[in-house]
Amino acid sequence: MFLTRTLPMLLAFAFGAVAVLIYYIPHGVAQEIERELSLWLRILYAFAYFLGLYSILNLHWTRIQRRQGGWAYSGVAIASFLVMFLFVVYNDGAGPFAPQASAGGYQWMFTYMHVACSSTMFSMLAFYIASAAYRTFRARSSDAAILLVAAIILMVGRVPIGHAISEFFPEAVAWLMEVPNLAAKRGIVLGVSLGAIATSLRIIFGIERSYLGGGDE
Amino acid sequence: MERLLNIDRRIIFAFIFVGVAVPLLIDFSFPIKPTEPVQRVYDEFERVASEDDPVVLLAFSYGASTVPEMQPMSLAILRHAFSRDIKVVAICLWPEAPGLAQAALDTVAGEYGKEYGTDYAFLGYKPGLWAPIINMGQDFHDAWPRDTQGTLVGDIPVTANIRNLNDFNLVFDFAAGDSIEFWWIPFGVEKYKFAFSGGCTAVMAPDLYPFLQSNQLRGMIGGLAGAAEYEKLVEIPGSATAGMRAQSIAHLIIVAFILIGNAAYFASRRRGAA
Repeated sequence: MFLTRTLPMLLAFAFGAVAVLIYYIPHGVAQEIERELSLWLRILYAFAYFLGLYSILNLHWTRIQRRQGGWAYSGVAIASFLVMFLFVVYNDGAGPFAPQASAGGYQWMFTYMHVACSSTMFSMLAFYIASAAYRTFRARSSDAAILLVAAIILMVGRVPIGHAISEFFPEAVAWLMEVPNLAAKRGIVLGVSLGAIATSLRIIFGIERSYLGGGDE
Repeated sequence: MERLLNIDRRIIFAFIFVGVAVPLLIDFSFPIKPTEPVQRVYDEFERVASEDDPVVLLAFSYGASTVPEMQPMSLAILRHAFSRDIKVVAICLWPEAPGLAQAALDTVAGEYGKEYGTDYAFLGYKPGLWAPIINMGQDFHDAWPRDTQGTLVGDIPVTANIRNLNDFNLVFDFAAGDSIEFWWIPFGVEKYKFAFSGGCTAVMAPDLYPFLQSNQLRGMIGGLAGAAEYEKLVEIPGSATAGMRAQSIAHLIIVAFILIGNAAYFASRRRGAA
């Protein structure tokens, strides 16, 4: 109980309270603590990559073992990882402990396979957005009509053809962005920030314990 | 009318494909007029260029999926910096970014005959989201001890005299995630008070307007359109300017489909009421 509940809560309180306080204290000691905590955070993030790697490989390996639907894609994912990993270790002949080479198999695969495939996947959104916009952007109510008009002004005014059609479009876009959008966004940011502060305080003071797991809180 | 309302999506896909592909193959242009947030970025770099021995920190915080939007922006900023003899220190806060940053630096440094070490340096990637920003604000050499080739930053002329983020004339972040809003501004700008501007994907740009108004973000380049505006300002048309043809036509096609859809919707409703 102490190791699974009390100790994690004490650590959360200690590190949470210290991290909040040192943000506002410019004293050298506080700055040194902040530096150390930031370094720890960077190390934790680096290890999180190993956890993520284990998680994704385990997920795909399990799919292959159980012959789940689309398991061949999982095979491709694991094979792709292994090929990329081998080329990173090979490092264009320099080995794994030398600085990463700016040429070679890994760089080639990154530029001509990974970047190309990722960009293509992202670009395909344009097709789905166009289809979704056609089906859902209907002026069914006054609110929807306002949204529709704003969206059309933005789509036309944000690209050079809007300037060519009329100066009204870019000017209207600037107003939409700097007045209604800015006001709404600022309200959202304030709301989200207050929510984050409240949740953080609940965690620091041990009121919110769901992060400990167990499902009984 | 029902057929029009339930149009096969492949027809829409075909229009978008033609609307994107044809303008990329045919050479024509629309007038590009820089907007105020982009102009402010340009003015910031001009201010930096007028100062003694100027050096800027460029943070690459984007990955492969946003290359079509972000890479033209990086190239335009680098061209502006190198053409005005501004020294560049590049870092990455996104794990996929080093290959992209290296490619951009190699391309533009080659165009302007810039030398590694004296004109620019590339320090690579560090994990930790905002944690490296806090460390850079305290001690730059401690946060980024070596460059990608293993050279100590104290031995690289362009970084030798950089103690912390305040020693840069400007910090600029290329962001495809929330690095501007949730990393740089709260843990960097607000804490250490340095000049900061950013570039982001088009979908993120509306989120950053409050920070533009408060001047926590001194200028912003939003998406491919912003990159094209920057190319216009530096007078070096690149892939963003070319992309504006396709984006303009694609936007018009989407607007036309929305208008047709609404016309069909109201016509069918009127018919249903009658």
